[in-house]
Amino acid sequence: MAETAGSIAGEKVLALPGAAAGGLLLLSLVGRVQGNEVLLASTLGAAAVLLLWLGWQWIGFQRSGEYPGVRILLRPQHYVQALVQSSVFLYWGYYWSPVYDHFWLLGAQLLFAYGFDMLLAWSRKREYLFGFGPFPIIFSINLFLWFRDDWFYLQYLMLAAGFMGKEYVRWMRDGRNVHIFNPSAFALGLFSLALIVTGTTQLTWGQEIASTLTLAPNIYTFLFLAGLVVMYFFSITLVAGMAAISLFVMSALYFALTGVPYFIDSEIPAAVFLGLHLLVTDPSTSPRTPLGKALFGVLYGLGVFGLYTLLGALGAPTFYDKLLCVPLLNLCVIAIDRAVKSIPSESWALMWKRGWNPARANVAHMALWIAVFAGASFAGKTDSRHTGDSVPFWEQACAESLPNACGRLLQLQATYCGDNSAWACNELGAHYREGRITDADAELSLGFFSRACELKSMAACRNLLRTDAMYRPPPGDLDLRLLLREGGLNLMEMPPADLYRRACEHDWQFACEEGSS
Amino acid sequence: MSTAPAEGGAPASGSRRTGFMLLTLIVAFVFFWLYRNAPAPESGTGAAPTTGLEGFRDDAWLLPDEAMLGFVEVPAGAFVMGSNPLQDPMAYENERWSAARRQGNPELPAYYIGRYEVTMAQFNVFAAQSGGRAAPRDGAPAYPVTGVTWPEALAYGRWLEEQMRTSPATPRAIREALDSGWRVTLPSEAQWEKAARGVDGRIFPWGSDPGASNANFGGGSPREVTAGACPQCSYGLADMGGNVWEMTNSPLQSYPIDPAAEPALDADALFVMRGGSWADTANNVRAAVRGAVDPGVRNPGIGFRLVISPP
Repeated sequence: MAETAGSIAGEKVLALPGAAAGGLLLLSLVGRVQGNEVLLASTLGAAAVLLLWLGWQWIGFQRSGEYPGVRILLRPQHYVQALVQSSVFLYWGYYWSPVYDHFWLLGAQLLFAYGFDMLLAWSRKREYLFGFGPFPIIFSINLFLWFRDDWFYLQYLMLAAGFMGKEYVRWMRDGRNVHIFNPSAFALGLFSLALIVTGTTQLTWGQEIASTLTLAPNIYTFLFLAGLVVMYFFSITLVAGMAAISLFVMSALYFALTGVPYFIDSEIPAAVFLGLHLLVTDPSTSPRTPLGKALFGVLYGLGVFGLYTLLGALGAPTFYDKLLCVPLLNLCVIAIDRAVKSIPSESWALMWKRGWNPARANVAHMALWIAVFAGASFAGKTDSRHTGDSVPFWEQACAESLPNACGRLLQLQATYCGDNSAWACNELGAHYREGRITDADAELSLGFFSRACELKSMAACRNLLRTDAMYRPPPGDLDLRLLLREGGLNLMEMPPADLYRRACEHDWQFACEEGSS
Repeated sequence: MSTAPAEGGAPASGSRRTGFMLLTLIVAFVFFWLYRNAPAPESGTGAAPTTGLEGFRDDAWLLPDEAMLGFVEVPAGAFVMGSNPLQDPMAYENERWSAARRQGNPELPAYYIGRYEVTMAQFNVFAAQSGGRAAPRDGAPAYPVTGVTWPEALAYGRWLEEQMRTSPATPRAIREALDSGWRVTLPSEAQWEKAARGVDGRIFPWGSDPGASNANFGGGSPREVTAGACPQCSYGLADMGGNVWEMTNSPLQSYPIDPAAEPALDADALFVMRGGSWADTANNVRAAVRGAVDPGVRNPGIGFRLVISPP
């Protein structure tokens, strides 16, 4: 695809970062920003940093009499990727409103990113390539992690770290000085590590972001279709496809061996599926040969699979799995390229039609990927109802002592308790009082019973009053509306008869009996 | 234009080292800042508890400075529960005992009940040691604690029981009761009503004339619990009518009371509260009035007092 080029030179280019800072100041007048003191101060602070840095550079340019340059370069890998990412925000945000509330802050981050990137380039005595470059970086970061309003200055620092990593953390690859890390993955990886080590994930929206993608119906199909666009234009099929295939295969193997799903309620968590299309696929920080790309994808799949267990075992939120392994893989790129150098992977990739060019081969790879995804969808492994969606499945699996089943049951019920399901909180209280599927913990048990009681569960209130009996009724209507929600369906207004039918389909035996009576 | 091309070169020099160091500093700052702001382990609020409060004992969880730490014995026996509209024209329909009888005569074993409502200061001693189970409440230390949920009130009772079981400050009679299985908890509805009206079936805790006391009702605001001293009240209890509503451990059910009956588990929890508050008129501070509170509610007009009760 053609790239449009032009250039700006002379003192007037200094107006560009000035405009970015001005834009931030204007955005600070918006109600969304004004609504929180820290957010307002963060945005004003970001603008002040840009203005101070610009002033510093202006003095230098005045002294030397030489002004920086700006070349306009509209690269399709930037704007196509940005368009695809925007479509994800729009679709997801339609079903989860905090995304739309975040749009003003996305704008603020973009302004900061442009100003920061420009000043950074000039501080390195380079001309700045003005295009859509910051868009995919900002969007990519925000598709996985953003800080809460009270901590939003850390979001600006995260962006700064991403751009600085791109600028300063470099190596020689194939005779060229290039950045090592995917800028967004570098920032996400570093900050994820900091959040894990300090136990401060709650300062971000990370957990909610990872779990709310599935509120959008048919999200896997949506991401698959969006991913096809990126695959077609930028030949990332081998990376994304192999990552997805390896995850599908490992999930299937795990299920075959243990009888329970590896990821609780999906073959590949939706956020991981998003990550393997839009985070790991930066062509400049991934291998160049077809076999290298395929290996890169497989390693990403393995990395996510392994980190999911490792993080869980460490008691850290598991959603970081997709973020932490990208920088590690970026570091392995040269080794991967070297390892596959001796193998004629170019010809392997084109083995069915020698003489095809890489673009045509990419289309062939896409066709294979489409077939794999279609197969997985027909087998109910994507948007369909998943075995692990059902709490009774995990109760049964736990009763049968299947691997990890009791831990997953507790995890699932803790999620529902966090969503204000009184039934789930009461069940957790019962588990910690009984000490059968987990260690008994009287304090924890009372805490869960108290929470359930405050949510009006009479059973839980009775459990608080009496330690010689245990009250564990089945979920109430409101609980079912929380336990059975999926794919953007509003169960809050579902008639009780339909609700019980749905509960019966999810193996709630009492609901089947209720429905038939 | 003297700047280098945007790509393909090998930008070197000291500026890269400076930039790298700056990046390292940013990352180090983020680690430090997040570490500094990490949630503290749940070991209490760290707030210094109130001391030197007149009429309360620093060495006994700020309970009243009385021989029995403010607990008054209510002897075993029957009492009149519910209202007879012929004697009490302000009676509500839900105070009728049954279709056949206006009032009941339930029999209760002996128990102890707090002379005063639980205070802010007392609750905050618990909050400071609760490991995050309850947040301290803001307010004057000798005022009744309000804005606590029903499970938090129960948790305070459990905590006080644990303290009393092992402390030398606990009066011998109470220690012996606890040793034989008695519990520190919220009163049942029947325990509360018996304590409020005694065995003579009076309408108000202080008698049958709404104006014949210094009870705090009819508007205004809450007051210190010791301001409600009431020698003429049943068992000498203060503020059984007015000041703040008091939670009980009884689910709201129709009379007659059946201690063996289990409440419906599929209905939303709702617990009886008694006694009316400073904001209520005379009809709601009668001893037989039955209010109800959602266990998750925090209300500035609702507090509680404790009983030490046999199992």
